[in-house]
This record gives sequence, structure tokens and C-alpha cells, in this order.
Amino acid sequence: MTTKLNHRDCANFAPVDVTKGICHLTKDIVLADTEQCADFARLPKCLNCKEFACTPGVSHMGQCNASAHEPKFFAYPEMAAVTCDRYAAL
Amino acid sequence: MPKKLKEVLVEAGIPMDFESGGHSPAQMTDREINREPHARVKKLKDIFMQTLSSANNEFPYWYTREYALHDTEIPVVRRAMALKAAFSHLTPVIYPGELLVMHKAPFFRGSFPMPWLSEGYYMAKEDELYQDALKRGSASADEHSKFGSGGGNVTKSFGKVVSIAGKFGMRQEEVPGLLKLAKAWVGKSVDDLGHKYEQMVPDYEIKEALMRNIVCMFDSGYTLPQGREVINYYYPLEYGIDGLLEIAREMKDKVAGRADGDGLKGTNRLFNYEAVILMLEGLKAWISNYAKEARRLEAIEKDAVQKREYAQIAERLEWLSANKPRDFRDAIQMILTIHLGVVNEDAISGMSPGRIGQVLYPYFEQDIASGRISEDEVMELLECYRLSISSIDCFASAGVVGGVLSGNTFNTVSIGGLTKDGKSAANRLEYLLLESGMTNQMPQPTLALLYDEKLPEDFLLLAMECIKTGVGYPAFMNNQNALTFMMNQYGPEGMTPEEARAWAIGGCLESSACAWKPLHLNGKEYFIPGGAGQPTSVGVHFLSMPKILEHVLWNGVDQRTGEQVFPAHDRTFTTFDELWDQFKKYWQKAVDILALTNNVQHDIWRKNNMAVLNSMLKPDCLDRGHLIDELGYRYNATFNVESAGTITAVNSLAAIKKLVFVDKAVSLEDLKKAIKDNFGFKTAKEVNSFSLSDQEKREDGPGMWDKLHFMCLQAPKYGNDDNFADEILLDWENFFCPDCRNYESLYGHPMYACQISVSTHGAMGSATIATPDGRLAGTTFADASLSAFPGTDRNGVYALLNSAAIWDHTMSQNSQLNVKIHPSAIQGASGSRKLLDLIQAYMRKGGFHIQFNVVDTKVLKDAQANPQNYRDLMVRVAGFTQYWVEIGKPVQDELIARTEYEGI
Repeated sequence: MTTKLNHRDCANFAPVDVTKGICHLTKDIVLADTEQCADFARLPKCLNCKEFACTPGVSHMGQCNASAHEPKFFAYPEMAAVTCDRYAAL
Repeated sequence: MPKKLKEVLVEAGIPMDFESGGHSPAQMTDREINREPHARVKKLKDIFMQTLSSANNEFPYWYTREYALHDTEIPVVRRAMALKAAFSHLTPVIYPGELLVMHKAPFFRGSFPMPWLSEGYYMAKEDELYQDALKRGSASADEHSKFGSGGGNVTKSFGKVVSIAGKFGMRQEEVPGLLKLAKAWVGKSVDDLGHKYEQMVPDYEIKEALMRNIVCMFDSGYTLPQGREVINYYYPLEYGIDGLLEIAREMKDKVAGRADGDGLKGTNRLFNYEAVILMLEGLKAWISNYAKEARRLEAIEKDAVQKREYAQIAERLEWLSANKPRDFRDAIQMILTIHLGVVNEDAISGMSPGRIGQVLYPYFEQDIASGRISEDEVMELLECYRLSISSIDCFASAGVVGGVLSGNTFNTVSIGGLTKDGKSAANRLEYLLLESGMTNQMPQPTLALLYDEKLPEDFLLLAMECIKTGVGYPAFMNNQNALTFMMNQYGPEGMTPEEARAWAIGGCLESSACAWKPLHLNGKEYFIPGGAGQPTSVGVHFLSMPKILEHVLWNGVDQRTGEQVFPAHDRTFTTFDELWDQFKKYWQKAVDILALTNNVQHDIWRKNNMAVLNSMLKPDCLDRGHLIDELGYRYNATFNVESAGTITAVNSLAAIKKLVFVDKAVSLEDLKKAIKDNFGFKTAKEVNSFSLSDQEKREDGPGMWDKLHFMCLQAPKYGNDDNFADEILLDWENFFCPDCRNYESLYGHPMYACQISVSTHGAMGSATIATPDGRLAGTTFADASLSAFPGTDRNGVYALLNSAAIWDHTMSQNSQLNVKIHPSAIQGASGSRKLLDLIQAYMRKGGFHIQFNVVDTKVLKDAQANPQNYRDLMVRVAGFTQYWVEIGKPVQDELIARTEYEGI
């Protein structure tokens, strides 16, 4: 799981592809995995959601406790939750 | 140093001269015309050029999650629920400077897998992908700046990026989720269910053998079940999304519980309308999410101009999420949104926008007249549109995306043709479409010019200018030929001559059935064309004629794998007619089994994975309440049989006929021995070139086949206006085209012939041993269906046209002829005139299609050696234009080897 926050965790980052994006504030191309700057604005992701629970011992995997499924449907921490109406920020 | 074939031939006094009609200048020659897009577009294009094809799980995650909740629902409603959830959850991404917004997925060139179609690839690669994803964890930030070779293709994993199918990059954090999603579809996907049931077709083992031995290139039911058709934008333009919702709700009330005389599917209309409503709600949510994102960006933007543009984008999307377009800007955004929606609904290549010069003309005409927009502003929007369409990627398997599509998705725009009442349809907006194809040179949308004698001269000459930029478009298609084909194929479904005029190219060059609909704008009525037919290039895909000839010669046994593919015929051929008869028998056996198994696959697709959005758009689904699976489309006779390697097979049959049966210069057995021994040469793979001219002799080669090989190479060849070879083509076409009608699609209609190669001539050639025409093992086949084999058309381009036009092209959905011309051969106004004369001569002879690569072969060779210097070089491959660096080596080699005409 990610421990530090990078550009790809920022709401001002428009992903161009899997490696880079454009910063809406500077209009520069920035690499997705380089560290955040002072203007960082947290992007909603499952990782930051109260409804998300990690699967112990499994990388990049967890479950969404807001899902109507039994057992709960899986989720993974890096998925964007911008459009999820069940997102609840930690 | 082993000798290359071309050196051997020079020594023998028969040089392979790939230049025809003169010699090219010694120095590299650039194309005559180079133009630039607007500054804004150039900036966005620069980003595109640095962009990797990228995929994530967002769409399949929400689709699968919702689908899993409703396992007792009616299939069409369940699918629509899943689609609604997926569209509603797509993360909106808007880039600074964009005028037209929305993307397939949250990347510039984004796409995603659809495991409900096929999950087998991910499951087969599960361990490999998982381990690769885990390994990626230690990568440093520096590594992220490494881009995969081959333009936007992610051919290898690097940094935190895992390469999928040699084309798409997926972040390592997404891979476990992808595998989890794939597992959810095991035994349920179209691929798995189709496979379960297709095995019940008698002689199924032959089908498996045909696929394993690359006699047939791919199945369509679970790879690209839709496409090669023309989309229809009419309903959203005429009614807007809320208007369509209102229609669907009203219709639902009318049909609920009523059979109306159709006891089998009359009551299904209720469920179909319910599905349409759900789909429209998903579309509305998707557009609204983009509108919200534009408002958010407006709020944080400091630059006044950009802030205003975000506000305009937000206002436009808020309007379009409910209402019909008011002006040109609204309309072009609406057709882009609808297009992206359709290509997100299913794995699709070749969803062509069709005749958007006609579709958008009402808005253009009224906006220009009122001063709401200038032509320069329209040009800028059209350039932006080209960027958006070029950014569409299709996520499918490596074999399909690489081996067949060369990464292209074939969103062809058609221009020219006739109006509903039979007049030239070329309007001012179509001139601008041509202009924007020159100023923003990108692979898509490629342009198809529907040639008719009624088109104005200046329009055709502008098309010559566009061709001279080297972009490979517009391709010329014969309008009158197509009208004849349309009436023959779709007349039984009620097509009238007037309606036939609405036709357009779907995919790269598949003639597709369309219809006229009345659009109303500010009190004025316009008839606009749009797709009204099902997908084409579904049915039997790319059946390799040279492979079937190999199996005829070796009693049904494949010589690369040693496998018995066809039942042994146990015949000894004492005449050419006997051999030809056996060829036709094996061909028919292959088509029959492939048609049946593909019918089964598509039947699974239509039962569980039917189109909802695309169906709703096509006449007459919304009116009748039936979607594609219930013959809701106006035209359903669209399944076809695709041939591949036509000219390689024709030349091979000509060589056998001449050398074995007419001249009796060699026995068939000795010819087979020479072929099996690759005429004493290494394989193409060993040489690492797929071009015939680069092949090398084995150093220990016996030399015993040299004379025979020369005879094979010198045997009559198609493309020289020589009846010996050309009449074999004629015999083939007179058999093939009518024979297709003996096979029936799952929709109960006869099939027809489709003759394009896309990139299969590379992949299929690499799996085929040497052929009797002197072609060596593993080298590419002749491209297209009517292009000469490289270097064999020695009598000038008009002789090639005579050969190509020997048969009646109206019997087939298409034919394809690619010609490579050196830029110096068509310079200036007189060069343009000569080129147009050439095209018109071919059209008047009855040729259906011709297109040009205007390029210096020396440039291509330099680009192959130094790809880093040629990121933006584009070439015409088959029915599409592609970036040189995104094309596989076999097809690059074949493009280099194509005969270069130095004069016409």
C-alpha cells in the first residue's frame, strides 16, 4: 500500500497516462510517482474511504463495506472514488 | 556473408527492381505539402505524441460489481444496469486547452478490458502478470520516464507499469484487481460460453485446427463483436437525452404486457425499453460528471481565458446532458460523446462516424450564416475532433490488436457521395474536413471519399492535395459500385435506391448500410445519413488462401506444424482443374465450419451481451422496441466472409498452372520439395526481415533449387495486365463472391464477400511456408486484396489497374488496392491532375477502391533504422493510416518492399 502521497494522489493531477499527468495549477507535465507539492489537494480514492477495508497480507486488495453484496465486493486502495456516492473521507 | 535474394537475382540477370516508371532521386525526398494545426491543437498533439496507451479497471470494476448484484434479472436489463453503473462511475478528466472534452477512460489514450467478453488471456497469464506486478514495487521514480518503444505502445513492462498484450500499460496496483475481475467471469464470458457450445458443431476439431494453424485469424464473437459499421447520431441530435428518455418511457407504457401479434418477442419490448432508459441514465450521469469537473476546474483556474473556456465547457455539458444541440459546438461535442459512449459499451474496432459532413452541416450552415462561428473556428474544432478520435484505443488481445489491427481502430469519416435526391453531397463543411485532415495530420479519422462523377472538380483536386501530404487519405471508393452492392445485399430487407445513397464506409473499407432521417433545426428540415445496419466483418474472418493451397498440395496437412487440418483428399492432380476443384472444396469446408462456430459465439453475445446504446441509436430499434438481438436494426444481412492473401494465392496458382501443367517444366512433387526446403533459403525469422528481397540463402544450401526458384519468380504474375494470371483472379472472384451466399448468419441472412487484409498479410505470412510463386517462408503475403506482390508489377500502374478491374467488383462488399508513389512523381498542379486522372480511370473501369502511400522508400528505411527520429511519420497500411513506429516489423518490411511508382 502507498505510504507517501504522490502527484497521482492529487486532485489537481490530470492523468495523461500510467506514468504522468498534467498539473492543473502549473500546466506542467509531472510524473505520477513523484512527491506531492505544497498545493496538494487529496484525490478521493478507496484508500481514503471509511468504507474500505484492506485484506490482510494481500497487496493492493481489500473490500468495500458499502457494497450490497454478501460477502462484500472487493475493492482496491488505489481506485479513484471521485464519482462514488458512498465515498466517505477518512 | 550469406547472399540475399536480391543479390542472387542480380547475378542471374533478373534484378528485382522495386522502382517502376523511372528512378527516384538519390537523396531522400519529403512530401510536397506540409501544414500545421492551430497552436492549441499543436500543444495537445504534442501531449498525444508522448502518451502511452493506458488502461485501468474502473469501468470493468463497476460493471462487474453491479452485474453480480442482479443474477435473477432479465438479461438485457441486467446488462443495462451494469452499463449504467460503469458509465456513472467513470472518473472525468479534462486537460487544459481542450475544446472538445470527454475520453474513453481517465487517460489521454485510455481504455479498459472487458472480461465479460473474454477473460481467458488474463487467466492464462495470471501468474506472469501477478509476479510482474509484485516485481514493480522497487522501481525508482526515474524509471517512470522511460517510455515503451513503438510510439504509444507499451510493449514491455517498466517502472510501475505492467505491459498487457504488448500494447497497453496498466499500473501495478491495478493488476490484482484485474485478475480478480477476470476470475469473476470464468465460465460466464462470451468466450467461455461460446466455446462450450461451439464444440457441439459437427467437425468442430477442424475449426480448432484452422485456428491453431492460422488458416483463420480470429473469432469475432468475443474479440470485436461490433464495429465495421457506421454509427448513427440522429436520435440524440434530434431529441436530446431527456427527449429520448421521454420517448422510451412513453413507449414502455404502450407496450407493457402487450404481444401485439408477436407471441415470441412482442412482450420483450418492455424489457428493451427499460434497458434503454437505464442506459440513457448512465450516459446522462457520465456527461454530468464531466460538467461537474469542468465547474471544479473553473473554480480553481487562475488564467482568465482558460477559466472562461472551462465555464463554456461546463455550460455546454450541462445543457447536453439533457437537451439537443443548439449550435455547431454543441453538435460536434454531442457526436463525440455519443461515439465514445458506444465504443465504451463493447470491444469495438471500426465504429465509423460516417458522413459527419452531412450530419453536422445543418449546424454549420446556420452558425456561419448568423455569424455565431467562423470557418477558422470550425477548422480548430475539426482539428480537435481528429485528436479525440485518434486517441481512441480498443482493448483486445495481442493477436487482434497487433496482428490484425496494427493498433488502429478504424473510425472512418466518409465524404462526397450523393444526397438523398441524387445530387453531389460535397458541401463546404466537407471541404473543411479535408483541410483539417491536412492541417492536423493524424491517423484518425481516416477519410473515405465516396467517388461519384457528380462530385465537383475542385473538391477532387483538394483531395489530391491531401493525398500528397502523405497521410494516406482520402481513400477513394466507387459510389456507383456501392449502390449496386447495397441494393443486391439489402434490397430484400426493403432498401430503396434513394436509401442506398445514404451508405458510408464502416471500419476501414466495409461498405455499410445507412438510412436518411429528418433533422429539424430552427424550423428547417435536413435529411442526414447515419448507420442503419448491424456490424460487418463479423462471420468468417481472414481465411488464408495461400494456407489452403498448401493444404491442398499436401493432402490436408499443415507443413509448418505437421498437423492434419483438413480431411485427406487422397487425390493426385493430373490437371490444373482438379487442383483448383480441390482448392474450392477445402475453402468451402473451412467457411462452413467457421460460419457455424461464429454463429454460436455471436448468439451467446446477443443473448447476454447485446448492444443497448448502439442499438438505441440505430433505426428502427427505438421505434420498434427491439434491439440488435431481436433484429431491431433496419438492415441485418451484414455478416460476411473475409479472404486474405488473395494475390499470393493467385500468383501461386498461376505458377503451378504454367510450370507444372502447361509447360511441364517441373513435376508437382519436385515443386513441393523445393517449397518445403524454402528454395534453399533461411527462414524470415532467422533473417529478421519479412520482406522477400532481404531473404538470405543458407550457406550450406544445395543450390539445387536455384533454377526452379527463378522460374517460379518469373512465372506470370498478377498486376501486369497479363491474362494468364489475371484470369485466375477472375475465376476465383466468380467462385468466391457467389459462394458466400451459401452460408447463413445467425440472423438468417446470406453472407457476402469482404476483401480486405488489414494487417493479416503480415501475421499470416509469417506462419506460412514458401509458396509456388517464389515467395519464401515467413515473408508477408501481398497486401490488401488487389495490390500486386512487391516488385512483380512491372508494366506500369495502368497495367495494374487493368488487372485489378478484370472482375465485377459490385459482387463484393469491397476490394482493396494500395499503390505506393514517390512524392516526385506527382509534384505540382500537373502531378495532382495526373493522380486524379489515374483514380478516375480506375473508377470508370469498375474498380471499387484505391489509395496511395506518397512516400520515398528511403525515408521508410531510415525510419526503420532510426525510429526515434520519426515519431510522427504516418503511412497507409491497408484501409487505415498508422504511425510508422506503432506498426509491427513484418508490415514495416512489406511497406518498404512495395513497388514504388516513380512516374504515372
